[in-house]
Amino acid sequence: MAALPLARSFASSSSSSLLFSNLASSPSTSLSFLATSSLSLSASTNYSYASPLLPSPRRVSSLCSTSSSSSGRLVVSAAEKKKVLIVNTNSGGHAIIGFYFAKELLSKGHSVTILTVGDEASDKMKKPPFSRFSEIVSAGGKTVWGDPAEVAKVVGGESFDVVLDNNGKDLDTVRPVIDWAKSSGVKQFLFISSAGIYKPTEEPPHLEGEVVKASAGHVGVEQYLAEVYESWAVFRPQYMIGSGNNKDCEEWFFDRIVRDRPVPIPGSGMQLTNIAHARDLSSMLTLVVENSSAASGNIFNCVSDRAVTLDGMARLCAQAAGKSVNIVHYDPESIGIDSKKAFPFRNMHFYAEPRAAKDILGWKGTTNLPEDLKERYEEYVKIGRDKKPMEFALDDKILESLKVPVAA
Amino acid sequence: MARLVAVQQQNRPASFSALPSSFSDFNGTRLHTSIQYKRKVYQPKGALHVSASSSKKILIMGGTRFIGVFLSRLLVKEGHQVTLFTRGKAPITQQLPGESDQDYADFSSKIQHLKGDRKDFDFVKTSLAAEGFEIVYDINGREAGEVAPILDALPNLEQFIYCSSAGVYLKSDYLPHFETDAVDPKSRHKGKLETESLLQSRDVNWTSIRPVYIYGPLNYNPVEEWFFHRLKAGRPIPIPNSGLQITQLGHVKDLATAFIRVLGNEKASKQVFNISGDKYVTFDGLAKACAKAGGFPEPEIIHYNPKEFDFGKKKAFPFRDQHFFASVEKAKSLLGLTPEFSLVEGLTDSYNLDFGRGTFRKEADFETDDIILGKSLVTA
Repeated sequence: MAALPLARSFASSSSSSLLFSNLASSPSTSLSFLATSSLSLSASTNYSYASPLLPSPRRVSSLCSTSSSSSGRLVVSAAEKKKVLIVNTNSGGHAIIGFYFAKELLSKGHSVTILTVGDEASDKMKKPPFSRFSEIVSAGGKTVWGDPAEVAKVVGGESFDVVLDNNGKDLDTVRPVIDWAKSSGVKQFLFISSAGIYKPTEEPPHLEGEVVKASAGHVGVEQYLAEVYESWAVFRPQYMIGSGNNKDCEEWFFDRIVRDRPVPIPGSGMQLTNIAHARDLSSMLTLVVENSSAASGNIFNCVSDRAVTLDGMARLCAQAAGKSVNIVHYDPESIGIDSKKAFPFRNMHFYAEPRAAKDILGWKGTTNLPEDLKERYEEYVKIGRDKKPMEFALDDKILESLKVPVAA
Repeated sequence: MARLVAVQQQNRPASFSALPSSFSDFNGTRLHTSIQYKRKVYQPKGALHVSASSSKKILIMGGTRFIGVFLSRLLVKEGHQVTLFTRGKAPITQQLPGESDQDYADFSSKIQHLKGDRKDFDFVKTSLAAEGFEIVYDINGREAGEVAPILDALPNLEQFIYCSSAGVYLKSDYLPHFETDAVDPKSRHKGKLETESLLQSRDVNWTSIRPVYIYGPLNYNPVEEWFFHRLKAGRPIPIPNSGLQITQLGHVKDLATAFIRVLGNEKASKQVFNISGDKYVTFDGLAKACAKAGGFPEPEIIHYNPKEFDFGKKKAFPFRDQHFFASVEKAKSLLGLTPEFSLVEGLTDSYNLDFGRGTFRKEADFETDDIILGKSLVTA
């Protein structure tokens, strides 16, 4: 693999992405590259590229926008309609992103094809959001199924302006899609990465441009994309709520609250996390499609404006349900519990802020957990999940070792 | 003192530093430096130039202790006529560490003093009316009652700039605090809230600044000093509960810059701004950052349950035992304000100019530490 690109605002193409000014003020940057990868370029070579950089007309326009008011920063008009392909995962927390994004694009007059990985007949398709794909079709979108490694075949040789890969977690999976997109003339490539790749820090929040774990699969994709693509953007989400979610989020809390069960939370409960409504992710993606020039070459934390503590999330869910909550803290290690299995969120501060989207695109978050959770709770009850018989084996194990009674 | 001057041109991104300020730099990969958002810093240049070009008659309530010491210098350098209203208990001027004799002499010769007690409302009214100040910076006001006579005395006041506090925010699980968040009418800082309400109700052009924890050389609140004392003594740092509580520090020089930036700035008219550091920090992280700043080895941190101890009237830890941090994006986007100092840089600045030179405000007191560590008290 070639050198790690350092994309700055004025260096979005692959060759010039090695160009960066202000090297003197960021020696730690070049050091971190030397330490981690088999670079073909040494730091000194990088320095030699650092002199006069002639910005392309595209970059000049985005630089010029600094002197205008905030609304003037958006360069490309939204009137340009795009043909968008979404390669979507068939399960997991990110599945919902493609669903919301497809619907929003369609509502704005863009044309959308959503390629879901695997088989249309698979059992996985019985779960949301796939069970609601008729909504995409009736809005004028196309739904296809197949193997992303054969994307050209699956889309029947169609061409697109934009591709979003909301599926792969490593280069092996995404590379075929990127390569096909480039060769078939797709102008803009977007990738859903993960905020989970940030190195843990004692100085939150995670900000775009900060150190990531070199071993993470997504990192390989991000690097490759930046190297080979002209107009690209990468999105790093955390957790999501929203109707059509494939993975439980708030439901985990509701399940316990409506059954008057204690809510076991590992650690102190003070850990911060970021839970966004899927519509926020969708609006950020849409803004990037409609402002490809300004967005190009950027990483965006795809999260809401605020952090919530784990205890806070439990309390907000209880408030939404109009019930009280009994939070019980435990130390997973000392009672032999794998908190990854017992609890839906990371047992640590995990908090990114969406600063790039706000500053570059004027994006505004609309997630309002207290309000959004009320709506989520209404649906939770409407589908009868509050009455569904459930097992809480891990909870029981935790509570037993803490000698906490299950029922109030 | 070049660093005190408004640093609009410096586009050093918050996530980078000449010092390896993030604790895990070298094993990871710094991928893309999307510094684009820094461009916002350059936005509202017009407003700033308007204030800088015309010299104003400015009154600072206070100004001899901490924030005002830096603010007054910036204002004098910009050519304004600055008066400090104080009781005269502390020296009106003091030479700052690192400040040249020439600069200090120049500043001292220009700064004016109005001696009085701000609680003597009649005196405040008459003395201020007589001077006809155009701008008032209220750095030490705690109660609305103290501000009313100032407004009464100066009907043609161009701007009243108030140092409030992020302490007015109602405690929340859902953070950071934004300027629009709920405030706590019962908080220890309710006087600040009442002052903000007074300003809103009167027909005056006001701006309110809400800092979080302020730090930097000359800090009289034992924030960084508390850690430095322990680090210097080679003592463990006792931190309540998990040490994961998140707080936020803002360098006093960045705060002074913010106070300058709002002067004569239309975008700041009748606005509240949170002003603090760009990033937040855990209690444990802060202890380590202080160690880095002072060149100390990584400290031993002891976590304890404060409920298990009785410290009497003493405070065992200088921060609120809760998450407490505020978003500074409003100031960034409306005023183009980006803090100059990262945490370790700022703490290093504080150490080099203050504690590291042997100066501090409060003597080391390890009584509560010893209670926690279970040691018997040693009498000096």
